Amino acid sequence: MQKLILIKYGELTTKKENINLFISTLKNNILKKLEDQDVLVSYDKGRMFISKKDEDYTNIIKLLKEVFGIHEIILAYRLESLDFNELKNNVLDLVKEENFKTFKVETKRSNKNIALTSLEISALVGSYILQNKDVSVDIHNPDLIIYLEIRNKDSYIYFTKIPGLGGYPVGTLGKGILMLSGGIDSPVAGYMAIKRGVKIEAVYFESPPHTSIEAKNKVIELGKILAKYNNDLKLHVINFTEIQESIYKNIPHNYLITIMRRMMYRICEIIAHSNNAKIIVNGESIGQVASQTLTSMKAINEVIKLPVIRPVACFDKLEIIDIAKKIGTYETSILPYEDCCTIFVPDHPVINPVIKECQEYEKLIPYQDLIYKAIKNHEIIRINSQETNNFKDLL
Amino acid sequence: MIYLDYSATTPINYEVLESLTKTSKEYFANPNSLHTLGVKSRELLTSATKQISDLFNVLDSEITFTSGSTEANNMALVGVALANMKRGNHIITSKLEHPSIYKILEYLQTLGFEVSYVDNDSDGLIDFEDLRRKIRPTTILVSICAVNSEVGVRQPLKMIRQIIKKENATTFLHSDMTQALGKIPVNFHDVDLASVSAHKIYGPKGIGLLYKNSRINIIPLIHGSSKDNSLKPGTPAVPLIVAMAKAIRLALNDLDRRETFVARLNERIVKELEVIDGIKINKTKYSIPHILNISLDNIRPETFIHAMEEYEIYLGTNTACSSGEISSSVMAIYNDRKRASGTIRISLSYLTTTDEINKFLTYFKICYAKLNALVQK
Repeated sequence: MQKLILIKYGELTTKKENINLFISTLKNNILKKLEDQDVLVSYDKGRMFISKKDEDYTNIIKLLKEVFGIHEIILAYRLESLDFNELKNNVLDLVKEENFKTFKVETKRSNKNIALTSLEISALVGSYILQNKDVSVDIHNPDLIIYLEIRNKDSYIYFTKIPGLGGYPVGTLGKGILMLSGGIDSPVAGYMAIKRGVKIEAVYFESPPHTSIEAKNKVIELGKILAKYNNDLKLHVINFTEIQESIYKNIPHNYLITIMRRMMYRICEIIAHSNNAKIIVNGESIGQVASQTLTSMKAINEVIKLPVIRPVACFDKLEIIDIAKKIGTYETSILPYEDCCTIFVPDHPVINPVIKECQEYEKLIPYQDLIYKAIKNHEIIRINSQETNNFKDLL
Repeated sequence: MIYLDYSATTPINYEVLESLTKTSKEYFANPNSLHTLGVKSRELLTSATKQISDLFNVLDSEITFTSGSTEANNMALVGVALANMKRGNHIITSKLEHPSIYKILEYLQTLGFEVSYVDNDSDGLIDFEDLRRKIRPTTILVSICAVNSEVGVRQPLKMIRQIIKKENATTFLHSDMTQALGKIPVNFHDVDLASVSAHKIYGPKGIGLLYKNSRINIIPLIHGSSKDNSLKPGTPAVPLIVAMAKAIRLALNDLDRRETFVARLNERIVKELEVIDGIKINKTKYSIPHILNISLDNIRPETFIHAMEEYEIYLGTNTACSSGEISSSVMAIYNDRKRASGTIRISLSYLTTTDEINKFLTYFKICYAKLNALVQK
């Protein structure tokens, strides 16, 4: 019997037309995730199979828990036969190793050509175990559930199902531009978009010397965590200093944040177009700060045409923090480095900005030139999902 | 040259030396500086620390870099003692410790701490019953080395910790693991605090570390400003730390295979020397093969070591740190003053070759016959 990983697809099975795209993308994502692991991946319409020569799957299960589009990860035994006697003997061999007092058998039979029904297989295997081992059946609360799957050529035996992340395979829904600051909300927003199959590219605005390299490194660290789910991550770093200083010098300070956000939106839209992204994703949450009142959102959003998706818009801060902790971005997000939103903060930012005024004020600065310049010179960092050690030769 | 004093110190590994020089040259900036160079040093320091904590499966914050095991031992023993004075003043140690432990405990005695010495059996193994008896409600710390430096006796720390915690859950266990690291598997989770040093594992001198479980608070010995670790303030020794990270990684490779090889060399020496009149092999069933201790009945160890030096063969007496005194470990195990006063330590490495051992044995016999004849007259 061969030990292997069996993967159950999640929600994607409902996508009748695109199912092939979904499954092949999932396969590619898994292969990318396991590229150092020397595995073979094959699939059919209902299941994906991952096998490895040494049959040690501990690490692989850990990695698969970071792949979207997987409903369940199962460590299974494959019997290359549909012979019932062989099946029951193998089940008995396997359960000898297990420690349990009560059990039940659950059978799934996708191969309808065999003589026995699922219920009959469960009953026969169950009684065979009862004859050979001192245990009893408990269908409501068993210590051990023996799952059997009879497919076209093979039978599978397994005992535990490990929940996967769910969601859609990354990339199946196209690309989105994530506005990634160093805070708590934006990485969570990114994670949630990735979960729905959106491949993310991130934009980070830096303002040296007002922001430090440490602030940028913090964003790269956050990028590394997102890259685990996103296969990798392209991070666009925009030097925002000149725009920000120019706003600071020329525009009434209560409008600083509004105008600054409008500039950021414009830049993100241009980057989205040049990278074939269809949406912008950010971590705005209704009412959290002055720029996130509904009036502010409207005043800021009007400068672009692309849809802006705000996955955490209706979440409380504590709910966002819970997710940040779960995905591992929280500890990095709370590191105390200035980002470009927290400097140049006016004492009393406007909470009900008037669009007309925004437009008037913006005429005071040559923002189109500045934006053009910032985008032309922007830095692209490619973050790999695999932990790379930059100091390999030294360590 | 035939170097057989690896337990005193080891030659630095070439790759480790490369890391040391390269880091010294290219990452000289203070990791606490805000500029790019400082940030680069900081990144390297973080990576090195992470590599070490990963290799030992502990948290980054549980590692404190020290100048070596002696400093780590001080930090642990004095730190725990001062932090727990209100709870108790009793400390237990074995009779098989490195001299640095005894010196620290002597100092603590002057501060009012009381020290008990747990017995061991004739194989050097800690007497569990005696340990149980000696633990009091006021016992704050037990310090027992993982591998004894003179006879190489290895202690079952996990079991010792279970015994201690059963008697008194608030007693901490510290272990000097200096002689164990890189020779046998070590597990920091078997203890609460542990000391190791880089120069015993082909790393540079002047760097070691203290592992301290995050649940334990100790009083720092040194005070100053620090970004990383309040136990060891001051500018971190990035090049030494990086070199140690590499040395530890390399030292943990292939432990089994290397140990088997060294065990073969050890057995060969024992076989040849145990038949010689006037030589006793101080080896118990718990001795690791890397350390082979022998006693010469009639020849002073210093004389013998200098005689062997003529042939460029380098051996150790007890431990390099206490040359000249009697071997306290041999005394503790064999309870034989004569046997303990004439000991030589032959310490082996996976770098030692069979050919070196052959030559060593040849010249050993020549020197021994010559000096023994002088004494016999």
